[in-house]
Amino acid sequence: MRISDLIKMGLRNLGRRKARTALTVVGVVIGTISIMLMVAIGQGINYNFEKQIMENGSMTIIRIYTYAWGENENGEYQEYQQVLNEELIAQLREIKHVKAVSPVMEKYIELYSGKYMTGISLKIMDCATFADFGFPALEYGTYPTPEQNETIVFGYEALNEFYYNNGRTYQTKTVDLAKDRVNFTFRDYDTTDVKKQFRYVVKDYAKIAACDQWEYGWYCYVDYEFYKELYTRYANTLKPADKKKAMESLERYDTIQINVDNMKHVTEVQEAIEELGYRTESDMQYIQPMLDTSDMLQKVFLAIGAVAFVVAAINIANTMIMSIYERTKEIGIMKVLGCYIKDIKKLFLFEAGIIGCIGGMVGVGLSYVAAYLLNEYGGAFLGSLMTIAGGEADTGAAYCIIPFWLPFAAILVAISVGILSGYLPARRATKISAIEAMKNEG
Amino acid sequence: MEETEPKDTNTKEEAPIIEIKNVKKIYRMGNERIPAVDDVSFAIKKGEFCCLLGTSGSGKSTLLNLMAGIEKASGGQILIKGKNIRKMNEKQLAKFRQKYLGFVFQSYNLLNSMTALENVEFPLVFKRIPARRRKRMAREMLVKVGLGSRMNHRPKQMSGGQQQRVGIARAFVAKPEIVFADEPTGNLDTRTTMEVMDLIKQVAKDNAQTIVMVTHDPRLAKFADKIIHILDGKIQSIETISHTMTEDTEEETTEKSEAEREENEEDEKENEKE
Ligand SMILES: Nc1ncnc2c1ncn2[C@@H]1O[C@H](COP(=O)(O)OP(=O)(O)O)[C@@H](O)[C@H]1O
Ligand SMILES: [Mg+2]
Repeated sequence: MRISDLIKMGLRNLGRRKARTALTVVGVVIGTISIMLMVAIGQGINYNFEKQIMENGSMTIIRIYTYAWGENENGEYQEYQQVLNEELIAQLREIKHVKAVSPVMEKYIELYSGKYMTGISLKIMDCATFADFGFPALEYGTYPTPEQNETIVFGYEALNEFYYNNGRTYQTKTVDLAKDRVNFTFRDYDTTDVKKQFRYVVKDYAKIAACDQWEYGWYCYVDYEFYKELYTRYANTLKPADKKKAMESLERYDTIQINVDNMKHVTEVQEAIEELGYRTESDMQYIQPMLDTSDMLQKVFLAIGAVAFVVAAINIANTMIMSIYERTKEIGIMKVLGCYIKDIKKLFLFEAGIIGCIGGMVGVGLSYVAAYLLNEYGGAFLGSLMTIAGGEADTGAAYCIIPFWLPFAAILVAISVGILSGYLPARRATKISAIEAMKNEG
Repeated sequence: MEETEPKDTNTKEEAPIIEIKNVKKIYRMGNERIPAVDDVSFAIKKGEFCCLLGTSGSGKSTLLNLMAGIEKASGGQILIKGKNIRKMNEKQLAKFRQKYLGFVFQSYNLLNSMTALENVEFPLVFKRIPARRRKRMAREMLVKVGLGSRMNHRPKQMSGGQQQRVGIARAFVAKPEIVFADEPTGNLDTRTTMEVMDLIKQVAKDNAQTIVMVTHDPRLAKFADKIIHILDGKIQSIETISHTMTEDTEEETTEKSEAEREENEEDEKENEKE
């Protein structure tokens, strides 16, 4: 038989029992949709996960805050005050898988350039750890080093909106460090009565090249040791009571930030720190339940898909066997008329494969519809799985993403299931004897 | 058993197209052994119309099925065109049937989902003949059996006689050298029976095809060149009908076929218009 004849005959045979064929196809459709959505949701989760890593910085960072929230022994939430000092940093450095530890402080500063000014956050960290925390590339200048630590690193947005406001006019300006001199001061204490005001004129500077991590935008970065020098100078300009407080503040850190060598070890390191008696936070700890849930969700879909495909396979086999019973005489006639056994086998495998193929194609089509509906209206359900705490799901976020290869793979699976389940019935069909054609009863 | 014709005359001309030697077929039903065909030997010449005549249950169908390779013989030798079909495997048998054999069945065995034309095309499909040529051959054949105007009818829309004509067209479409027919008129009334018999005889004559027909009806024996009487699985006698007796029927059929041909040509024209 020619392939074209085989196809024509197979389709004709399926067409003869439209209702039965359709019902058999439905099974395959359900299986295909389950498998498709499983992969699509998995892809969606991975996509969102990666996007959030990009936006929120590395997933390998653990933070210890002076003021921490946590459950106490009675299961109630309460605030804890933790002492973060150099001693703790030394301890943390000893923990396995810890790549870098740095104190972190954040101070509001006012930057001045001529008549223009702006307020911004200064982030203070140990400059030796900048590289380990994955600081991005610079547009110009170099990062500070322990030997040369006086560089002020400007975020990629930090110089953009200096303003001038005298009550009548409001002007903004983008400062060019090559031409404009910039100085800054801290604003932690009241300095209206102070004789000599503290101002630091920026000498060494660098600017971070534009990137998509917001934390390097509206910030300035400075080394911790250099900050201590600057702040001591600032404290010396203050009233005695304020000076004492200011100097004390240098002995404690707001936050300690730890970088772990691998995402997989974050939980382990966090546990080690908690054993030291400190409460920690990491993005990972919010991501982990999300990953677990998504994993479970994917497994559920996989299970549904597998069960649906098994049922579909049984269904196809059943349909084929029924079809063979009905067509016993026909098969006998075909044999008498000189049809090769191989062709009979091919015919039945083709019919089973077509059931799989149609089911696969319809399933793929419906999966696109289902994915669209989930993306459009399933946000409440799926969105909670895909955002880490603090982050918000974008409107129109993709919860289900169907990669270009998925429909092809799904149809291929559906066809394979069809052909595999058609195999035994097809073999059975070949065993039907030509004598069936010679029988006259029935 | 006795042969009315001396054996040497036909062996001189040509080897027999079908040669059967000591063929046996024994069915087992539990412990019972049913010898459906019991040590049968005979030969059929090319172009001969051979009739296996016997009462119901005498083993005619079994014998025919053995010759066609549909049943496996329990013993003996079956040579068709000099080839021992007992030694063929399924694939070789299928190929052999495609090439040399045609079949006419008692219950027509047309596929109800197909039109008359598609049914006639069917054996050509297995021979991998391209669709266009196949259609042309089938159409010609249907015209020949007088169904030029029924090509696109389905079996259910035709009378028994018409269905058997389609069956005959299907059997002869590939121009097989041998056509087997098991009670081809068993489901037809007397008038239609005679028409169908005439048709088979005429179509076979056109291409000098060999016919092996099974029947229990002695009235049909007159169409045959050779009658093999069978009883209880054994040959009782072989009767060869002399040429002179068949001559007038031959004229009759040619006359008739000419009339039919005219009819058919009209049908064909109609078809072409469609
Ligand atoms: N498949 C079978 N199993 C057992 N016995 C069979 C089978 N086919 C035919 N027979 C027996 O063989 C004998 C010959 O049958 P068959 O060739 O059909 O006779 P006929 O065609 O002359 O009427 C009968 O007695 C029948 O019962
Ligand atoms: Mg019979």
